[in-house]
Amino acid sequence: MVTGDIQTISILTFIINTIACRSDRAYTFYFFCIMKNKLYLYLIVLFSVIVSSCEKDEEIDTTKPAIDFSISGAFPTSCSDTVYFGEPFAFRLKFTDNVELGSYSIDIHHNFDHHSHSTEAVECNLDPKKDPVNAYTGIADFTIPDGRTEYITDDPLSIPLSNTIGQFDEGDYHFLIRVTDKEGWSTSYGIGIRMAYR
Amino acid sequence: MQLSHPIKYREHLHNNSTRTTPTISIALILNCLYMSKLFMLFLSVSISLSFSVAQAQYLLKGTVVDNEDRPLPGATIRLLSSDKGTTSDESGSFHFNGLIEGIYKVEISFIGYQDLTKTVSVPQDKKLRFQLVENTLSLHELVVTDNYARTLKQEEALSVEVVDDQYLKQNLGGSLMNSLDRLPGVSTIDIGAGQAKPVIRGLGFNRVVVVENNIKHEAQQWGSEHGLEIDQYAVEDIVVIKGPSSLQYGSDAIGGVIDIKNRSIPAKNTWGGAVDLTGKTNNYSIGGSVSFFARKDRFYSSFRGTIVDYADFRVPTDSVDIYNYRAALQDNFVRNTAGKENGLHGTLGYVQGNVKSELTVSNVSVKNGFFANAYGLEPRRVDTDLHDKSNRDIQYPYQNVNHFKVISTSSYQRNKVRLELDLGYQRNFRQEWNAYVNHGYMPSTYPDTLVSPADLDREFDKSVYSGNARLTYNLSDRTELLFGVNGEFQDNQIGGSGFIIPEYQQYGAGAFLIAKHYVSENGHFQVGLRYDYGNIDSKEYYDWFPSPDISANGDTAYRYLQRAENINRNFSNISWSVGYSYHPDHWIIKANVGKSFRMPIAKELAANGVNYHHFSFEVGDPELSPEESYQLDLGVEYSSSKWAIGVTPFINYFTNYIYLNPSSEFDRLYGNGNQVFYYNEAEVLRYGGEIHMHYQILKNLQLGMMGEYIYARQRSGPKKGFTLPFAPPASALFNIKYQKERLGFVRNAYVSVDYRLTALQDKIVPPEVVTPGFQIFSLGIGGSLNIKNQPIEIAFQIRNLFNTKYFNHTSYYRLINVPEAGRNIILNLTIPFSRNTNKN
Repeated sequence: MVTGDIQTISILTFIINTIACRSDRAYTFYFFCIMKNKLYLYLIVLFSVIVSSCEKDEEIDTTKPAIDFSISGAFPTSCSDTVYFGEPFAFRLKFTDNVELGSYSIDIHHNFDHHSHSTEAVECNLDPKKDPVNAYTGIADFTIPDGRTEYITDDPLSIPLSNTIGQFDEGDYHFLIRVTDKEGWSTSYGIGIRMAYR
Repeated sequence: MQLSHPIKYREHLHNNSTRTTPTISIALILNCLYMSKLFMLFLSVSISLSFSVAQAQYLLKGTVVDNEDRPLPGATIRLLSSDKGTTSDESGSFHFNGLIEGIYKVEISFIGYQDLTKTVSVPQDKKLRFQLVENTLSLHELVVTDNYARTLKQEEALSVEVVDDQYLKQNLGGSLMNSLDRLPGVSTIDIGAGQAKPVIRGLGFNRVVVVENNIKHEAQQWGSEHGLEIDQYAVEDIVVIKGPSSLQYGSDAIGGVIDIKNRSIPAKNTWGGAVDLTGKTNNYSIGGSVSFFARKDRFYSSFRGTIVDYADFRVPTDSVDIYNYRAALQDNFVRNTAGKENGLHGTLGYVQGNVKSELTVSNVSVKNGFFANAYGLEPRRVDTDLHDKSNRDIQYPYQNVNHFKVISTSSYQRNKVRLELDLGYQRNFRQEWNAYVNHGYMPSTYPDTLVSPADLDREFDKSVYSGNARLTYNLSDRTELLFGVNGEFQDNQIGGSGFIIPEYQQYGAGAFLIAKHYVSENGHFQVGLRYDYGNIDSKEYYDWFPSPDISANGDTAYRYLQRAENINRNFSNISWSVGYSYHPDHWIIKANVGKSFRMPIAKELAANGVNYHHFSFEVGDPELSPEESYQLDLGVEYSSSKWAIGVTPFINYFTNYIYLNPSSEFDRLYGNGNQVFYYNEAEVLRYGGEIHMHYQILKNLQLGMMGEYIYARQRSGPKKGFTLPFAPPASALFNIKYQKERLGFVRNAYVSVDYRLTALQDKIVPPEVVTPGFQIFSLGIGGSLNIKNQPIEIAFQIRNLFNTKYFNHTSYYRLINVPEAGRNIILNLTIPFSRNTNKN
């Protein structure tokens, strides 16, 4: 890469120089021409030295991690699953990355106004819009053990029955899942779920 | 004895030249100079010469004029068969001293004109006139160059581009920066069709300084959601300095400078103005600007009013993939990106002899919507009935920006001294409005006990007081000293329910000394040194809502989180620069090495909040030190009557480039489950450059090419091996232009086709995506018509001629796959009028 750049610069400079020198009419300009040739040479050498003094490009990771919803027993899945207040549920998904996974987080928030983050490919059938009274908000973050390129979550998550205000609002919620790899690439996926009291 | 060219060059640089009549004559200044000690010296030398030398010495005098007998300042005059050479002054005059009797050959050359060689005999019986014939095509079509530009290019050791209002009209884009991004090495960070921020050689935001009327334009430079608050109709000349320019412009000029200069002063006893009308089909934009000026003897004033109103912009796609979610667009309109702008400018000026003073008051105000399906990068499901009802209305989310300025500039010149003083006050007020959304642990309904309105998301209120003083002193004919001081005080207030930067006060002061020495009339050295001192005092901030803090034993306590602590930091820095510029005849050769710096901004030091526009929890580092950058710049340019070619390579090294680095972590309590982005420092090496060339195939036909390339790599830190964010891809622009002075009843008619070829950008950092390369065509047609002695200038453009769907890697909306605007037909009419009250 780096050597390629030097070549490009050199070739360009050469072309420019040739053109410039040819188009000169007056004899006196040949002096400049020769002088400039030297100058160019000097500049090329200077550039080459500086540019090549840095290390070679190392391989960098430009691949994002991925979320796999297709594993058996994946939960929750978009538009079809219901999570019940006061009950634990098994959060089960597969994360993969080409180099090393980082961590992941879950964010549960209401979607009563039908406007929230939505990254699912299909739109769920939602209840009519309503104003939240005591909507549930749940946020959690988790680390993934070092050195993994594949990780299946198997965390029992529990949702409280109520808070100090009282019972939570039932209805449409969003389940936002985000995963990173060690390099900081991230993938997020929002899915629509229902939350209710059993 | 050589004439004092340095002084003349300086005149070109600093003086406000009158458009219609030449102002301060160079002769006057030379006279002033001669009156001083130098004069005595000159006199004594002359006397001694006339006594000691037997042979008589003569003066060769002449004037250079164009086809319409107007004086041509800046033409190069060479006395062949001798080493003498000079440049014509403001009145087109030149002379050679100390010639012995004989026959001489004089060669006169000037960019855009055919070379002229004449034989003269000395002593001459009368002052000679040299009339140059214009090349029908101006050679620097792509990068507009006139005498001012050429002089500036020779003077500035860094690479510069100069653009005038005519270029802006012919290349009018959605905003000032969109009109400039055709220049090599200049690109933009866009949001939508009408908002763009400048990027110079891959550096943007707080790394580029925008200067208007000598005062640094201060807004929320760090934010990517809004553009530059400058009315592009009110701009006359723009100088783009590509390279670190902290020496004269202070902190932040680490990447370059966009210097907006309004040079013109109306001629004595004249009045006039212009009406500009612009229409654009892509976003059904209609705009107009009316200007008026008048001058009576020493006093002059001007006024300008601008109104622009535009609808949602259109893209060549019927849906946009926001992450995995596909948002359908109605009739290709990017939902809710409509906006309106208005600008008011007023100037009062006084000019007499060597005193000049000007007071400018301006206000630019913008209201524009954000793409409704994604507020920032956060996908939204929208009420399509509401949003698609009209393409012209502005619904939530939207922003209001208002920028008010008062600037006073004054200069005084006497003999060898020139004094300049600039004072400025500006207030930037920006608000983002949106329906309340309970992000993270915010309550699901907005409490009515709070003072801030529920739908006010963010508010930034910035007041800035600035001042510059410069003293130029001509130490000798060949040496010039420039001493300057700058000072600035900022007060930043915040509001709204979202927290991203704290409230802060900031001040900074700097002093510099620049020495310029002319080794010969064609070459000069420039050396400069600068010291800066600054302080930033940012205030603590607590959330307005409680968050659940879970202790180790599982107890949950609700508390109001502290987002920012009180931070008080002092910074100091020394910057320097050494440059050489050599410009014999058709050549300009330059080299410059310099060190520039940038003080960390409040956001980099004290950020501790979730940016829901980006899904990022941004954490500042209060220990950051000022960014330092070393750069080597080279420039070689050759121009003849048929050719023009130039290359401007650079190498740049940052000891500590500050950037927002996405980590692999998430944070529940403070970051509300968002990915943590830390402000990091990294050693960075960058290199690249620009190339431009023009070739005149036929008398009226010209071919041109411009290219730019930048390579950047982090050499340390957590993203070692990666490039920098918003890296512009390699790009080339090919242009063919036909231009004729008279084509039927059209004057200065032109037809121009641009073909832009941009490479794939696969050098990315998280969270960017690879952007494919693209090819687009643009067409420009224009000229000047005369209807009943009333000239009308017409500039017609079709941008993105084939309605190509392509992505701009440095667009804010790139991450959510919003392509660039589709075909856009732009028509701009300028109707100037003027009267001379002397004639009555």
